[in-house]
Amino acid sequence: MADREMITIEIDDKPVSVGKDSTILEAAREIDIYIPALCNSELVEPYAACRLCIVEVDDGRKKILVTSCNYPVRKPIKVYTSSEKVLRNRKIILEMMLSRWPGVQVIKDLAKHAGIQKPRYQHPAVDLNPNACILCGLCMRICEQGIWENIINFTNRGAVRAVRMPYDSDQPHCIGCGACAEICPTGAITMVDDPNHPHDADMVRRAGMRITEEMIRFDEEQCDMRGVGTAHLVEIMDAYDLLPVMNYQYGKHEDTPKISSDVLRKFFTKGKPDGCWLGCTMACAKAIEDFELKTGPYKGEKVLVDGPEYETLGGSSNMGIFDPRFVIEYNFYCDTYGLDTISFSTGLSFVMECYETGILDKEKTGGLEIPFGAKDAALELLHQIGRGEGFGLIAGKGIRYMKKYFVENFGADPDFVTDIGMEAKGMEYSEYVTKESLAQQGGYGIALKGAQHDEAWLIFMDMVNKQIPTFEDKAEALHYFPMWRTWFGLCGLCKLPWNDVEPANNAETDEPAKVPGHVQGYCEFFEGVTGKPQTMDSLIRMSEKVYTFQRVFNLKMGFGKREHDVIPYRSAGPVTVTEYESRQERYDTQLRVDVGIDPSGMSSEEKVAAMRKYREAQYEQLLDAVYKRRGWTNDGVPTVEKLEELGIDFPDVIELVRKHGG
Amino acid sequence: MINVNGEQSEWSRGKTVRDVIKEKNYLFPLLIARINGKLIPRDKYDSTVIPDEATVDIIHLMSGG
Repeated sequence: MADREMITIEIDDKPVSVGKDSTILEAAREIDIYIPALCNSELVEPYAACRLCIVEVDDGRKKILVTSCNYPVRKPIKVYTSSEKVLRNRKIILEMMLSRWPGVQVIKDLAKHAGIQKPRYQHPAVDLNPNACILCGLCMRICEQGIWENIINFTNRGAVRAVRMPYDSDQPHCIGCGACAEICPTGAITMVDDPNHPHDADMVRRAGMRITEEMIRFDEEQCDMRGVGTAHLVEIMDAYDLLPVMNYQYGKHEDTPKISSDVLRKFFTKGKPDGCWLGCTMACAKAIEDFELKTGPYKGEKVLVDGPEYETLGGSSNMGIFDPRFVIEYNFYCDTYGLDTISFSTGLSFVMECYETGILDKEKTGGLEIPFGAKDAALELLHQIGRGEGFGLIAGKGIRYMKKYFVENFGADPDFVTDIGMEAKGMEYSEYVTKESLAQQGGYGIALKGAQHDEAWLIFMDMVNKQIPTFEDKAEALHYFPMWRTWFGLCGLCKLPWNDVEPANNAETDEPAKVPGHVQGYCEFFEGVTGKPQTMDSLIRMSEKVYTFQRVFNLKMGFGKREHDVIPYRSAGPVTVTEYESRQERYDTQLRVDVGIDPSGMSSEEKVAAMRKYREAQYEQLLDAVYKRRGWTNDGVPTVEKLEELGIDFPDVIELVRKHGG
Repeated sequence: MINVNGEQSEWSRGKTVRDVIKEKNYLFPLLIARINGKLIPRDKYDSTVIPDEATVDIIHLMSGG
């Protein structure tokens, strides 16, 4: 965003400089000059319905009355907000309003301020209701412009004009966000809170409205979640060498623009709030209608596709496929077959690398030629997985199964498939390259459910910002963020409104990465629902109990120790010489600066080995630090003291952890 | 020279916060810029000139799933 051209005008003889195309009303507010306005809000486009904001403008040639809410400043002008002409006309407008809605407090106040005792008119449609609708149109404008819905609008004309839902019936498309009620200046629209019996509905609504306001004001210039959803991350991850390409060997590709958010934006036909979380105004879910399928059981049919999101797009680059139509088709069929697009695409990336390195061939795959980029073969394998036949029976069981199968049946090198098979605890990696962020390697490796980034996404903090340089810093981040994100799961809430839009003052807070303003909002949300006041610490404490208990559960099921927090080496560094040489300058510098050895004169194989030795040791040191911070033993088992501290020291839990040295 | 996110970077007279963001290809929208610890508002990235020897932090927040 470039700095705006500034223009200086005079309002009531006071100079003020504002950006070109600001309104007179905005300029007046800059210097605390009050102009009454009933139909104006910063959240919606000006409408000039109430006419109360009239001012007199002298442009050097003539003096005219204009509505200040929608008069753009484009040259130096003089503005008079309280001239005799302005006051006389404003008084007439208020008299008419008062004659129609004599009980509405905001109108009574303005009329009194204008010196009106009693209106001179008798309105034929007088409405004595103190909460009467005054037809300002704020509600329908925020619904349309702010929420991207059209649930309410004006009906009829003249004296019977009113705000209504279509056919005067309840609208199933209303997401219940409450924005119309919140913005209504008279209380004509109210929310019905009875069904859920919240302790303090207003507290819940205020917290929600703050997010809604931020979405309306900032989303387009921040993450554009309402425009393209998480697809906006494709080009960003590519720019930071984090977009997985060819089974996480690389982090960017020259063809990435072919599957960037700008391309997807042209496909998306549905961008409204889809009710995935009723009342959410982030509306990040996107859909594509009338997409004609090229393969599979629905070949030739036009279907609606829910997505694609970032992970589905990143999964495609990971398979070396940069064709948006492929992405949309595999998105549809994964959904249709009940497959996760992440597990499918990461699994196929592994299959493709195995094919390229000779572990697999056409005979072993039942006739499929499936190197990187083979989109037709990828779709055919997807259908085989869906049908449960052919090579799909093997690939559909995931990377952990394939690794074992390829070693036992195809003579694959067990070390190599372990290095490149991107799974942890049996779950496939999601779509981020973690090689340059030790903290994120931990984020994937220590995550209780397997290699998912939804416990912690620390790559920017670690790799770009250099905010968490020490093992202790990383361990602290790997304590706070997993606990914080667990809290969303405990409450059945989505994480996205926490940090995919940012409050205006976030940069000024002590810890902007935590988005303290939104954490406070979640405290209020919890208190508003349950009546129990919360702090950031108390929310984290809630999670810590559950998170630690989950680790104990993992332990009980045979997955809860240090040996289970291992990661494939490709998550930590370059497995092959080709990978190393693709970023040789970076790695050579790191060998020199971080490892303390001179790479000159070393072969690429020697450099790969030296780098590996260093990075694997770093990961072990990270585990030590994280376990210590979490109150676990060096083997990753929660200690009895920690269980007692958290109040989850049940006899069978104590017995279990003791058996494992806890 | 200036220090940008912990790494030495070339300095030239008149270099702005926006120039650094472009030079580093920092495409991510949720950024916080500080020069020697002082917060620079987003609408001043074009007009804020970085002095030589400055420590510049371009803090990236987080987003995504």
